Amino acid sequence: MLPGPRANPFLARIVAGFFVATAPLLAIAAAADGMTVKDPHYGEVLFQFYKQDYFTALTHLEAYRQKDRINHHLPEAGLLEGGLLLSWGQHEEAGKLFETLLANSSEPAVRNRAWFYLGKVRLQRGYIDAAEKALTSIDGPLPDDLEAERYNLLARVYMEQGRFSDAVQLLSGWDAPTLWAVYARYNLGVAFVRMGELEAGAALLDKVGTTPILPEAREELLSLRDRANVALGFAYLQADMQGESKPVLQRVRLTGPFSNKALLGVGWADSNNNDFRRALVPWLELSEREQLDSAVQESLLAVPYAFSRLNADPQAAQFYAQALQIFDAEIQRLDSAIADAGNGHLLNTLLTDDDPNVAGWTWQLTSLPDDDGSRFLYFTIADQRFHEGLRSYRDLIALNAHLANWKEKLNTFDDMLATRVQAYDERQPLIDKRLADVDFDAMHTRYAALAEQSRVARQEHDVVSLAPAEEQAQWQRLVAMEQNPAWNLPASRALREKQRVLKGLLQWNMEREFRVRAWRQDRNLAQLESQIEIARQQLSGLDAATASIPATVNTLSARIASLEPRIDMLQGQLRVAMDVHANYLQRLVETELRGQKERLLAYRAQARFALASVFDRMSARNQ
Amino acid sequence: MKKPLFGRRLLLALLMSLYVTIVSAGQADLVKDTATLDQDTQLLKKAVLDLNKDLFLLEEELLYPSNTQVAVFVSMDVGEYFALDSIQLTMDGKDVSNYLYTPREVEALHRGGVQQLFLGNLKTGDHELVAIFTGKGPHDRDYKRGATLKFSKNIGSKYVELQITDREVQLQPEFAVREWE
Repeated sequence: MLPGPRANPFLARIVAGFFVATAPLLAIAAAADGMTVKDPHYGEVLFQFYKQDYFTALTHLEAYRQKDRINHHLPEAGLLEGGLLLSWGQHEEAGKLFETLLANSSEPAVRNRAWFYLGKVRLQRGYIDAAEKALTSIDGPLPDDLEAERYNLLARVYMEQGRFSDAVQLLSGWDAPTLWAVYARYNLGVAFVRMGELEAGAALLDKVGTTPILPEAREELLSLRDRANVALGFAYLQADMQGESKPVLQRVRLTGPFSNKALLGVGWADSNNNDFRRALVPWLELSEREQLDSAVQESLLAVPYAFSRLNADPQAAQFYAQALQIFDAEIQRLDSAIADAGNGHLLNTLLTDDDPNVAGWTWQLTSLPDDDGSRFLYFTIADQRFHEGLRSYRDLIALNAHLANWKEKLNTFDDMLATRVQAYDERQPLIDKRLADVDFDAMHTRYAALAEQSRVARQEHDVVSLAPAEEQAQWQRLVAMEQNPAWNLPASRALREKQRVLKGLLQWNMEREFRVRAWRQDRNLAQLESQIEIARQQLSGLDAATASIPATVNTLSARIASLEPRIDMLQGQLRVAMDVHANYLQRLVETELRGQKERLLAYRAQARFALASVFDRMSARNQ
Repeated sequence: MKKPLFGRRLLLALLMSLYVTIVSAGQADLVKDTATLDQDTQLLKKAVLDLNKDLFLLEEELLYPSNTQVAVFVSMDVGEYFALDSIQLTMDGKDVSNYLYTPREVEALHRGGVQQLFLGNLKTGDHELVAIFTGKGPHDRDYKRGATLKFSKNIGSKYVELQITDREVQLQPEFAVREWE
């Protein structure tokens, strides 16, 4: 059974160093922290952005802007889009956007910040001249932390361009109290060393190599200290200053990523002082370590070299023979790894456990499969081009999978539209039939008649007409009694008196309630008129909606039909791009592996030659 | 005695690679390929992004037309007294969303992002929304609170906000539902 992937802290450290590209966005949008979100959809874009789902954030930003849903945030939306594009690797597009945005921006702070990040990303991606243009376009001070980093970046640009004196001039006049200052001192020290000014370089590197450790940047500073001490130690060695070299190299941590080189250097310092016995101590320790490291490989030759200088030829011969065995085995493994790289096996292995999800744009390679081929890749992955290329390759795979998902959805959308058309065809006749019975004109005529009745009743103070039906019936009965032929007879007197009292009471009641009843009547009529109008509008809306269904469906169908070929076309292009990327990455891997192999071949040749010399000496002594 | 060849080689290599930069000499063709590949990839990704936007808009217009659309957003202001785990959302008595938050999403809310928790369709008329917030309250105790909103849906999109804030005086979280103005 193959062993599973293993987490590798060294790899994680290497990889982490290349993902500062996401930092610009966080800082660009830092202005968004604490702002009041006025449009919920802009807040939603920020949510995606803070989740580091840049692809979704960009998609939503552009869609919402097209739909006029983020109108309160248009100025900052432009800056945010630029930052999102940078974080998604679209620095060309981001550059154009920033140039347009910044040319029209009246806010110097925004413009300067944008140029800063643009310069940083361009430098990371190797566009050195473009990075210089961006960084020198900054017109005015940046916030302290960015200002410090800007100096550092510009110094790096100058060094990349070979303009060491410009770098020295820039950094000499700058004394920033930040981590960036330590970086700057380091780079400046190295620049001095490369220019042959060891004394000036040594002063700076020594300062970095002994810089106090800040709790907030402990690991970074420890690593930088080791790096500076190795650089200075080897600069002294190169100048044959063994006495100065050794204590500097001994400051390097024994377990850090620079410890191998430091151990090798300490050995060379002793060796150059002809103290080969002492030199063997670090070299023997080193020769037991991971044999991929060039320092370890060199120690395999250094150990027998020291033995031979101590006239211990049998031990020297033994260690040379052992080195040859190791070199042979490593060369064999490298041949196999080169073959694997050529057939794409290594690349597939790297992405075996990856879930190609567009929301995972922050994907990082933190573990390598634990097999013979992949172990050679540690140093390839330290190459930014390889890492960026692998990230792009992975992005292309995820985009292709994303489009495949959309294609399936489009088929579903097509089915939905077909179902809607069918439902429309079935329901429309029934709706038409029901609506045909609705006569708004008759309703309105009836309402008008009621309104007129109410108006007349109010005008003529007709209390009876506004009375409830029961009271009206009582009133009619009381009035009808007066029409009876016997009404005026003397015998009806008591009855007449009773009717007069009842009629008076009823009238009094109706008079008392008249104003309230008139008000209620008016209110009910007003509601009736309003409801008739609402019903009329709803019917009109329903007519419009049902009438628009075929057009809407046709429009959506046409959009689906136009999107499907775009998906197909882009999927085709993505597949081609994936092949190109795979080929490119394979070439990078092969180049690196061949370089490793050439070094081993050279070491093997030296080991064979040295072993032969040792044997010659031994046989000469025996004769 | 002269230093052996392998020692000189390594010294030279180390001095050439001292910078905190990435430089690889003698690979001009690969460098050129890197730039071309990068530019081509950017163009392709831009085309995919444009297409994705069109597809996203199509999906929304098809599934959630603006006349019936209702969206529920979640926002958080400070949120020191409440660690959000999940939100259960019911609309007119029916469960419409039961969302469990990842730490990254909670962090995104803390930083000012606004999550679209629910997107759906509603008829015009009166509706009732109930949100149940579950998480850890003050002193790391289990905490569950509800908030309700009765609202009227007319023609056109309706946006509702679930707001989690801190009530400083009582050192307690506060949950509110409001229509987004």
